[in-house]
Amino acid sequence: MSDEQEIAPNNDQELVSRTQGGDPSAFDELVIRYSPRVYGLVYHMTSNHEDTNDLLQDVFAKAYRSICNFQGKSSFYTWIHSIAVNMTINFLKKRNRRQHPSLNDPDSRIESDPDFIAATSNTDPTKEVSMHELQKKLNAAMQKLSHDHRVVVTMFDIQGMHHAEIAKILKISEGTVRSRLFYAHRLLQNSLHEFKRA
Amino acid sequence: MNTEQYTREEDKEPMHHVIRLKRYEQPHEGYFEEFLREFQFRQRAELLKPSLSAMLMERLHSLVSEIRVPAMAYAGAAVLAIIAGTAIIRQEPQATSPRSYAASYSQTPVTIEKMQPVSLRIDTPPNASQHASQQFPPAFLLQARPATHESPLSF
Repeated sequence: MSDEQEIAPNNDQELVSRTQGGDPSAFDELVIRYSPRVYGLVYHMTSNHEDTNDLLQDVFAKAYRSICNFQGKSSFYTWIHSIAVNMTINFLKKRNRRQHPSLNDPDSRIESDPDFIAATSNTDPTKEVSMHELQKKLNAAMQKLSHDHRVVVTMFDIQGMHHAEIAKILKISEGTVRSRLFYAHRLLQNSLHEFKRA
Repeated sequence: MNTEQYTREEDKEPMHHVIRLKRYEQPHEGYFEEFLREFQFRQRAELLKPSLSAMLMERLHSLVSEIRVPAMAYAGAAVLAIIAGTAIIRQEPQATSPRSYAASYSQTPVTIEKMQPVSLRIDTPPNASQHASQQFPPAFLLQARPATHESPLSF
């Protein structure tokens, strides 16, 4: 499920070396490769497209400035995600409650997803919800979580990362990742009980 | 994480199926190409943006050039500075040993090799004493006697 294997980290190292050697086009390749994943991480944390765009620019700019210090002890994948998580959490701390959701429209493929069909056409036909209604409720439930819980839910449930990868990026133990997930799922269950699978 | 493992996790957590629907929320088509172009544009703009020190140096340079002091004046001032500096460096110190400003009270004693008796007698004409006794009472008249350095015990 994770994209790390698909992204070929060995090739990343070559691109990193070329960037460190002064080839900016190599860094462009890394931006093309990682911007969709990093976008997803930041977007699901902020629930705001414009904030995500600005943060994503800052994340890649910071990575570009600091790439000379990148020694390859972790993969570029882990490194760029760590930068993104730290910058996003700092941003959220500053933003605090001044949040105005700016959500992207869900891809039309969602309508054919069995999970979506199961969630929206519940056993009780009077409780049928639209795609946008579901999106709003999911977003509201996510925003109720603390930053620490939201980041593990985003990485594990939405982006499909391993526990070990999450632990490495957040610099916490796998046990902590699991306990945070467990607690976050319990909170989400309270908010989204109507969509719970039968 | 392989598919089997992932499926087991899914089965354990019912909310996972609902939450993962958020992955369909994607930016509009072509967003990531635009993002890269914007990133490249910002990077170039940052490179062109002069640093604070470079701006200060530029301001200083323009300020100096505005003063319009002739080049010969700079050269003259430089020569004067070099001459003054050389003169100061070449100036030898007056004394190598540390100077003492303490007052000295050593003084050679004054010696009188041979003491001569000094006569304080005033020779007066004979009629002058008579004249003096007429002017002053006798108690105020000193007897003329030679002064010596004899001990007062000799009296």
